[in-house]
Amino acid sequence: MFAQFVDLNLWRVFVTICNTLITFLIVKHFLYKPLRNMLAAREQEVSDLYAKAETDRREAEAMKRDYTVSIANAKQEAADIVSGAQKRAEKRSEEILQQANTEAATLKKRAEESIEQERKKAMNELKGEIADLSVRIASKVVEREVKEDDHKRMIEDFISKVG
Amino acid sequence: MNTEINGARIYWQSDFSLPLFGQISITETMVNAWIVMAIILFLCIFFTRNLQKIPKGKQALIEKAIVMIDGLVEQNMGPGCQSYAPYVMTLMLSSILGSLVSLIGLRSVTADLNTTLGWAVMTFVMIMYANIRYKGLGGYLKGFLEPIFVMAPLNVVSEIATPVSMSFRHFGNIAGGMVISTLLLGALAALSTALHLPLPIFQIGIPGVLSLYFDLFSGCIQAFIFSMLTMVYVGSARQA
Repeated sequence: MFAQFVDLNLWRVFVTICNTLITFLIVKHFLYKPLRNMLAAREQEVSDLYAKAETDRREAEAMKRDYTVSIANAKQEAADIVSGAQKRAEKRSEEILQQANTEAATLKKRAEESIEQERKKAMNELKGEIADLSVRIASKVVEREVKEDDHKRMIEDFISKVG
Repeated sequence: MNTEINGARIYWQSDFSLPLFGQISITETMVNAWIVMAIILFLCIFFTRNLQKIPKGKQALIEKAIVMIDGLVEQNMGPGCQSYAPYVMTLMLSSILGSLVSLIGLRSVTADLNTTLGWAVMTFVMIMYANIRYKGLGGYLKGFLEPIFVMAPLNVVSEIATPVSMSFRHFGNIAGGMVISTLLLGALAALSTALHLPLPIFQIGIPGVLSLYFDLFSGCIQAFIFSMLTMVYVGSARQA
């Protein structure tokens, strides 16, 4: 038995509508629900990734800034250390020079003193010699014994007066 | 030799009759529709099995289809209508597969006016619902009196013409294609007989070329047209 080629039957329309509604539920439940969930999960993940990348980038930037600052600090410190060392070395060398100068001056002074002393000593000795010599010459000249002590005194006086 | 073209085969008809529906029956169209539903169910489960965050193969395909339908819905109905996408997808799948079951020798589900009329009635209900929701019942009814009240009968006719034209367009295309294919097959068989060929060799190949248009192309394009019209009508009812 066949239906009409173009027929209109409320029952069959009704069955079609029911079928379509069931198909709709099938499509919605078995196709759209899992896919939409998956797409939402993926979207979430992508946005999470982007957010994480952004925070990472910020962190890296902050770290870079920190590093730049600390490197600059380190450079400054190194420069300070070097200049401090230089200053200290200069000061030290000056001190050493000073000390050397002082020492040299002391040595020179001492040498001068000792020279003076030697000179004085030599002068005194010379004075004695000259006195003796004078007494001997005088006694030879007067041919008589002069009282040596008086004589000596006289001559010494004379020498000291002469210079 | 006679070629018979019939409506859907009636497998079972009740002896009793229900009010409003009359005698209820189970027809070839219904059984084929159930087969199509089973195919759709299988496809849905097959395509959404083992979904991955990084799409691959069949998943990329179905995602592309979903995004495409979403795009169509948004383009024709405006933004915020994503909830209509499953219905549009249902229409597309039912219509395409319902037309294409003819390729495996079953009678097209859409070559039965009751099928396309059922869908058109659903679309019509959605149009009315959208109209009443966005214009209010009074606004919707008042719309029939524009531009002047004497136009009211014409407006009512044009409103009712929407589902009728939609259903007849779809039905006519598919059923017409089926008729032409059947007639051609009969004609080719007659030609073979007239030439006293032992085998009806004309029936090889030639109907296939026509089937390419009348079954494949027509089936796909009608599904597309039906879905598009549904979206456009409902969308314009929402926006008005």
